[in-house]
Amino acid sequence: MSPIIQGLLTIVIGVGGCVGYFYASNLLLDKVIFPVQSKNPGKNINRANMVRPWLFLFPAMFALTLYLIYPVVGSFYRSLFNRSGDEFIAFGNYVSLGQDPGFRTAFLNNFMWMLVVPAASTFFGLLVAQLTDRLKWGNIAKSLIFMPMAISFVGASLIWRFMYANNPDIGLLNAIRFAMGATEALDVLQVQFWNNFFLMVILIWIQTGFAMVILSGALRGIPEETIEAAIIDGANPFQIFFKIKVPQIMGTIVVVWTTITILVLKVFDIVYTMTGGNFGTEILPSYMMSYMFRDDGRATAVAFVIMIIVLPVMVWNIRQARAEMK
Amino acid sequence: MDNIAGTKSSLNWAVQISVILLVVIWLIPTVGLLVSSFRDRDAITNSGWWLSALPVEQNFAVKAEGEPVSKDGVNVIEGNVFGEGSGTVSKFGGRRAAPDAFKAGETAELTKGRTLTMQSNGDYVYTSPAEIKRAPSVYFAAAQPPEFSMVNYETIMGSANMDRAFINTLTVTIPATIIPILIAAFAAYALAWMDFPGRGLLIAVVVGLLVVPLQLALVPMLKLHNAMGVGQSFLGIWMAHTGFGLPLAIYLLRNYMVGLPRDIIESAKVDGATDFQVFTKIVLPLSFPALASFAIFQFLWTWNDLLVAKVFLPSNSESWVMTVKIADDLLGSRGGDWGILAAAAFISIAVPLIVFFTMQRYLVRGLLAGSVK
Amino acid sequence: MTKTYLTGAMALALMSTTALADGHLPFAPGEGAFSWDSYTAFAEANDFSGQTVEITGPWTGNEKEKFDKVVAYFEEATGADVNYSGSDSFEQDIVVSTRAGSAPNLAVFPQPGLAADLASQGLLTPLPEGTDDWIASNFAAGPSWVDLGTYADKDGNDQTFGMFYRVDLKSLVWYSPEAFDEAGYDIPETMEDLKALTDQIVADGETPWCIGLGSGAATGWPATDWVEDMMLRTNSPADYDAWVANEMKFDDPKVIAAIEEFGAFARNDDYVDGGASAVANTDFRDSPTGLFAIPPKCYMHRQASFIPAFFPEGTVVGEDADFFYFPAYAEKDLGKPVLGAGTLFAITNPSDATTAFLEFLKLPIAHESWMVQGGFLTAHAGVNLETYQDDSLRAQGGILQNATTFRFDASDLMPAEIGAGAFWTGMVDYTTGKDAAEVAKAIQERWDALN
Repeated sequence: MSPIIQGLLTIVIGVGGCVGYFYASNLLLDKVIFPVQSKNPGKNINRANMVRPWLFLFPAMFALTLYLIYPVVGSFYRSLFNRSGDEFIAFGNYVSLGQDPGFRTAFLNNFMWMLVVPAASTFFGLLVAQLTDRLKWGNIAKSLIFMPMAISFVGASLIWRFMYANNPDIGLLNAIRFAMGATEALDVLQVQFWNNFFLMVILIWIQTGFAMVILSGALRGIPEETIEAAIIDGANPFQIFFKIKVPQIMGTIVVVWTTITILVLKVFDIVYTMTGGNFGTEILPSYMMSYMFRDDGRATAVAFVIMIIVLPVMVWNIRQARAEMK
Repeated sequence: MDNIAGTKSSLNWAVQISVILLVVIWLIPTVGLLVSSFRDRDAITNSGWWLSALPVEQNFAVKAEGEPVSKDGVNVIEGNVFGEGSGTVSKFGGRRAAPDAFKAGETAELTKGRTLTMQSNGDYVYTSPAEIKRAPSVYFAAAQPPEFSMVNYETIMGSANMDRAFINTLTVTIPATIIPILIAAFAAYALAWMDFPGRGLLIAVVVGLLVVPLQLALVPMLKLHNAMGVGQSFLGIWMAHTGFGLPLAIYLLRNYMVGLPRDIIESAKVDGATDFQVFTKIVLPLSFPALASFAIFQFLWTWNDLLVAKVFLPSNSESWVMTVKIADDLLGSRGGDWGILAAAAFISIAVPLIVFFTMQRYLVRGLLAGSVK
Repeated sequence: MTKTYLTGAMALALMSTTALADGHLPFAPGEGAFSWDSYTAFAEANDFSGQTVEITGPWTGNEKEKFDKVVAYFEEATGADVNYSGSDSFEQDIVVSTRAGSAPNLAVFPQPGLAADLASQGLLTPLPEGTDDWIASNFAAGPSWVDLGTYADKDGNDQTFGMFYRVDLKSLVWYSPEAFDEAGYDIPETMEDLKALTDQIVADGETPWCIGLGSGAATGWPATDWVEDMMLRTNSPADYDAWVANEMKFDDPKVIAAIEEFGAFARNDDYVDGGASAVANTDFRDSPTGLFAIPPKCYMHRQASFIPAFFPEGTVVGEDADFFYFPAYAEKDLGKPVLGAGTLFAITNPSDATTAFLEFLKLPIAHESWMVQGGFLTAHAGVNLETYQDDSLRAQGGILQNATTFRFDASDLMPAEIGAGAFWTGMVDYTTGKDAAEVAKAIQERWDALN
């Protein structure tokens, strides 16, 4: 069998199986277990409606439990053990993290990343989404800004080497500095503190496309009437944008912000390939990776610190969800 | 009225210019990569990509390999640095450390009484009072015309099993994109529009799970797959991608669905539609932009994924996906070859970009607004 | 000029792939200077048709191609299929697959430290009985290779897990003979001469060294080789062993002195291309190209025997580039210490065919068939040295044999957190200006935290 047919067949079976489950299980619920055409249709509909959410949720919950919750619980248990995993040390790994200056650097850097990257990406994403909204060639502009999203992190790191390299024959930044009269090459990735921002630029460059796509969808979804009403009331474009549009898409902004924040807490590739965590650029995910598969106790402890950091974001989201449902 | 029109057009100009500016800034790095992907490793380190369209003055070394002949008591080698080809020498020299010390046409006095004369057409005369034992090197500077080639792309596309890897990648990514979306759409609907105890908690759990690092799950999951008999296979990798992609899918889709107009859904329910009907007939079509955007993101991630593919697929070359093929087979010992790296990056973004360009009109069309009216 | 080289290389690559695709062996049995007798005997004694041996290792790209050709002889002899897959992130992949229970049959470890780690978790199977004796009597300096492959198993008992195949020589300085010739420089015989030459080159207005530590997540490792070489040149082998075992602390004055010996080269703006600040982030794969620039960006590059793979296309080793032994101090009387490293085979999932493959690795042909392809040194004493691809490799083999002291790369032997972590980053910190004592102390603290 040719690999193409094999591939197609597997695609059909996989997707078909999924659709089949939802269709068949709902059919089963409505026609066999709690049939509407029965002695007690009202009660049966109510019962079916009690079960149905779980029918809808079951595959997702099953997969999430298996692929994420089970490993998370297992990892938490693991984080209470020492390096080789044979001695219970309670929170010993967490304590030693707190004492490690490397961890503190990573923590502070990560904090900066969390402040800057989601804000900047969302800002630029919103800016592009709004500016290109009525533009004739807006879709082309959007596509070009989206392009970095399609590049793998390794590819992105390579791209930015062509920007940052300290050899002025390779790195554009240094070439510009030389053209402006500098005499000595500057390796921007070695400039303490500021190098963090040069690394952040890479992720902002990638994630703006994500923010833009989601936000421009939301902007288009704003009912025309509200904007027309504001124009009639004499609002200028800036007022329309900040007073009418932004509040209406606030929910989407939260989603974008959250998603990028979480990405910041997960992406180690950029730091890993650009500096290897040297020159004071370590962030928590890359710090975790340097322990992963070596000292699992410690690596998992870092993972849980990351999960604790995300708690406020979770709370914010639940509040937003509650507000939406009312 | 005139006044408003005036500000409008000036504002329009400002918008146009700022968008152009943003696009250019965003494009510069990628253009650098694109240009570099057509150059070879030596050219990349010799001159910046932004100068690659201009001829570059470059230094060369050539061995003077002609047969030495004895003339007037000195040994002489004559030849042309360009061999069969042609070019223009601007400067030359007799030492590697000073390859451009003399102008073409001059005669250079070298050490130990040796001389070197080179014309701008490349003809040179090397003389030495002593016997010439080893072919000496002569150095010259010449303008090198810009050179672009498809060699990097040919190396990658021409390597064995690349077509297989391409098909494997598609086999992995398509189901790994569609399956999580299907599952997530149902779950998202339940979380957005169905009332049941524990809904808020479940939403919180989904957000919490977004941050779980993939690495934590690799070993336990592979163990589980082995125990279930799935082992390392396409089935295994679809399941893995589905599990890892679900939290974000549910999160994004739920947030979109919750924003759908309540009256449409409630009136449908009043009319006697079941949740399954509401979902398939109303919510799914209305959520198309969100489904499409998530499909693109999930497609991009699975397409560019290296880690999951390496863990959950067998490691023989029959089941390599493109990222593994490029990273482990092509780049390995060529880590320093930036030209190949750049070409590989471009090959791997080609398909995602095509997908994006075909899907993007759905993304921004704002189907929702149209359907409400 | 480059063009002709390029097409030549491509034609060569094409030829070799088609040869392999046709199922032909690169050299038919009986031809050339290879040791065929033992191979024929092996082929007659073993038949594993229908069985498969899965191997994973760190060799990718061009090195994978070479190993595939070695493997072809095993397949031809036994009828078994060998499936080798190489990975750039081998260290991570092997941990995941052994723990999850989907390990290949054999793994090729680039570092003994990682193999020892897995052995102590019970994830490796000891080599067949008697292999240690065989290595001891058939490898040059055999017993030391046995020691390097012997680790504690899960219960704490020492067993031999690793068989070395392919050795890298680290104490080499690469240079362009032409550049040396034109500038009138001589190959230094002692460390004193080397330092004098370095100053001489500076006095001539040139830059002596190219040093690059960049290597992505592994940034810093080339510096550890420098420090190890300096340790061997300023201290006794016994001190070196004590340092590896952490019996001599990392912040011992002797270690700090060795780090500073490295700093004398790397932290001097006049000595290194691009100045000291360029050292830390220049990619190690790019840094040797400075030797071949016209005019040269530097004259010397200290790196292991594998580095010619990263020379510009068309560079002929022996003509355009050559090496000399990174010399020792004449005054210290420590002989001619040599630093090396190597990859070792270990069993991750035993089978009969796997055992046969290890038997195959004992045959000279398993080594010779890679020696002839270049980029390969071996400690196997029974091979025909004529099969080395070129004189340069033969000369490296000579250095290996003339060494009065051979020591294995310390960072490969230290626990991974140190040898593939704290030591790397510490060296980057040092080259970017931190104090040697401070760096050494931080590394020792990491080490203390392990126990």
